[in-house]
Amino acid sequence: MSVIQQLIKALPQDRVIFDTEQCSPYECDGLSAYREKPMAVVLPANVEEVKTALRICKEHQVPVITRGSGTGLAGGALPLADGIVLGLSKMNQILHVDPLARTAVLQPGVRNISVTQAVEPYGLYYAPDPSSQVACSIGGNVAENSGGVHCLKYGLTVHNVLSITVINMNGDILVLDEKDDGVDLLALLNGSEGLLGVIVEVKVKLLPKPDTAQLVMAGFDSVGACADAVTTVLEQGIIPAGLEMMDKFSIMAAEEYAKVGYPLEAEALLLCEVDGSFDQVKVDTRRIADILTQSGATTITVSQNEAERIALWQGRKNAFPAVGRFSPDYYCMDGTIPRKRLAYVLQEIEKLSQKYQLEVANVFHAGDGNLHPLILYDANQPGQLEQTEKFGAEILKLCLDVGGTITGEHGVGVEKLDSMCHQFDTAELEIFHAIKQVFDDTGLLNPGKAVPTLHRCAEVGQMHVHNNQLPFPELERF
Amino acid sequence: MADVFTQQLSEQIQQAVSEKRTLQVVGNNSKVPLSEGVETVELSKNSGIVSYEPSELVVTVKSGTKLTDLSAALAERKQMLAFEPPDYGDSTIGGTYACALTGPSRPFRGVLRDFVLGTKMMDGRGQSLTFGGQMIKNVAGYDVSRMMAGSKGSMAVITELSLKVMPLVEEVTYCRAMPEAEAIVLMNQMAGTTLPLSGCAYYEGRFYYRVFGEHPKQDATPCSNDVWLTLNPFQPKLQPNQKLWRVDTEGPAPSIPNTLAVGMCGQRRWVLSDEAPAPYSTLWQSYFAPRHNDTDPISNIKTGLKQVFDPHNVFKNL
Repeated sequence: MSVIQQLIKALPQDRVIFDTEQCSPYECDGLSAYREKPMAVVLPANVEEVKTALRICKEHQVPVITRGSGTGLAGGALPLADGIVLGLSKMNQILHVDPLARTAVLQPGVRNISVTQAVEPYGLYYAPDPSSQVACSIGGNVAENSGGVHCLKYGLTVHNVLSITVINMNGDILVLDEKDDGVDLLALLNGSEGLLGVIVEVKVKLLPKPDTAQLVMAGFDSVGACADAVTTVLEQGIIPAGLEMMDKFSIMAAEEYAKVGYPLEAEALLLCEVDGSFDQVKVDTRRIADILTQSGATTITVSQNEAERIALWQGRKNAFPAVGRFSPDYYCMDGTIPRKRLAYVLQEIEKLSQKYQLEVANVFHAGDGNLHPLILYDANQPGQLEQTEKFGAEILKLCLDVGGTITGEHGVGVEKLDSMCHQFDTAELEIFHAIKQVFDDTGLLNPGKAVPTLHRCAEVGQMHVHNNQLPFPELERF
Repeated sequence: MADVFTQQLSEQIQQAVSEKRTLQVVGNNSKVPLSEGVETVELSKNSGIVSYEPSELVVTVKSGTKLTDLSAALAERKQMLAFEPPDYGDSTIGGTYACALTGPSRPFRGVLRDFVLGTKMMDGRGQSLTFGGQMIKNVAGYDVSRMMAGSKGSMAVITELSLKVMPLVEEVTYCRAMPEAEAIVLMNQMAGTTLPLSGCAYYEGRFYYRVFGEHPKQDATPCSNDVWLTLNPFQPKLQPNQKLWRVDTEGPAPSIPNTLAVGMCGQRRWVLSDEAPAPYSTLWQSYFAPRHNDTDPISNIKTGLKQVFDPHNVFKNL
């Protein structure tokens, strides 16, 4: 019996999709330049069905690509032609909320935003807020260790997850809890991109909803002055809830789109939000406005009420589609850099922009150093996608050169495999492959993603070898 | 180029591997009594701050640096380690990381590994490895830097750590006498409000809580901040036959007999008992030794991971 026949036989009706039309929404995730039709899509509704699907796939040695909502931006859920997609969207129940302990137990397909919606009556919320939060799933958030605009103060997904339940290809159920003693497997699974196990349950930390939030918006006549102002805010001991910078192109695009009064003459714009108790927010807002004025802000606006605060965010929150209106396609990068190098990095990106003859807009999570350059291109122009990807890879190399990393929150997926060869030496890549082997000796969970083969790194000319000696010399190289 | 310390460490490890000896990693020896005749990897001389960028909220430090020295350097720039590491007397940052120790602020600010951004380590082949970096956001590769927190020197020698630091805050402690069960509910109710809490505990008949920054007038007695040092590290005088357990629970978990102290907003109890009083109980007298129960799939994974980093079993499993 074929794997598809066996899956159909073992699982309830409607759990297995294999005709081309129905499979087409699963051909890609948020990185839509890459597409592949999977052999089939399996949509289990509970843990037992996940186990059944994994058992059958193992029997047939068929790769399993786990998928949440498919909003990932790095191709982590890109199917394989000879693999199945394990879509967890039917497992979308909030299993338990404990308002006193401030925790929620969730199935992996629960959408991020619906956690906050469900616990709002208790005055609580779930802090990580990736921009895709209306659609993305909590299981996917854990797999990618997703961020958001409030990471500096409230952390990434890994900081807000208390426990997860994972199933491996052998059908073992592993409960990994923050309370466990010894090496931190819970931390390891966060951001493991579906290579180490299938996440079937997540317990998250809930936080008390702040009494209030206030936004200070400031324009600057140079990127450097804006970055220096952020430095001063942080040095003064204030940790804003949100700290966003935009360059001139982004300001112009966002203002044209949202019409909220962004200062068009400014070279850089800073949005700085504080939240918490009424007393604390009042004090912090005043201090921030003073610091930004002293740091040479050319314009300052302080939100006077909730409506104004939300309105001022509209430009930034729509920056991507706003920039997207200037070009048929855009490619969003995700490097991180030390903030003190921002002015230099933007200058170098401008040089690259001229070299590749492609425009670029920059938005920056200034608090945590996460830079999102948006490269504008036209996929219908022959060769332009390839040029864009080369441009993107050069930006990531630049981020590494100044002491940053190739991905702050989007993950590696298939997109940044080559850049991984720049960031890590052979020895570390070997360790990553060996870790994968410990969790998944079948190698069937999301193969080929997140960690490049040494062969691939050798081809891109980035194999780092210490003292001309390969570690694990006993291993075969392909 | 590797520095002299790294070079010598690599040679020591390779030598031990070739002679089939085992090594015990030691910082300032503040937690584990050393057994006679054991060969050690000494990290106390591997100390000092490598780089410190207050405005980037990042410090990079060698693993043998004393907590007191690190905290003093941070305090000079009005910053701190927000996970409030317990100091057993000249404890090092490396030893604190190896044992994954977090203080009373845990429910409000997070655990030690939440503040780990990157590590340099040397594995059981004598090979230098770097994971993570100095960035607050970084999702490239598996998060080995955070995974290793709690590995207790059994997998690799941690040589350098990059940590996220936070602004130093002024804190005040309040207390109130009340029954334990009531205090546990109250502390969890308070933690669900925007009162800026950084500690909640129950000790010797009193509910203690600690607040920072701007906050409304409290209906409780201000008292000394010293109670947090009593609880962190908690080192009660024990009779030779008494067993002290660290029990981690959900916040408002029911009471356990013979509880000496309740910390971390009810999430941690210190209990005298002959047997493990609840799930997630650790016999404290033997906490600092790595443990393996070789039956369940999770222990198999832990054993597998040890093999990845230390294939020749050169690092001692006490």
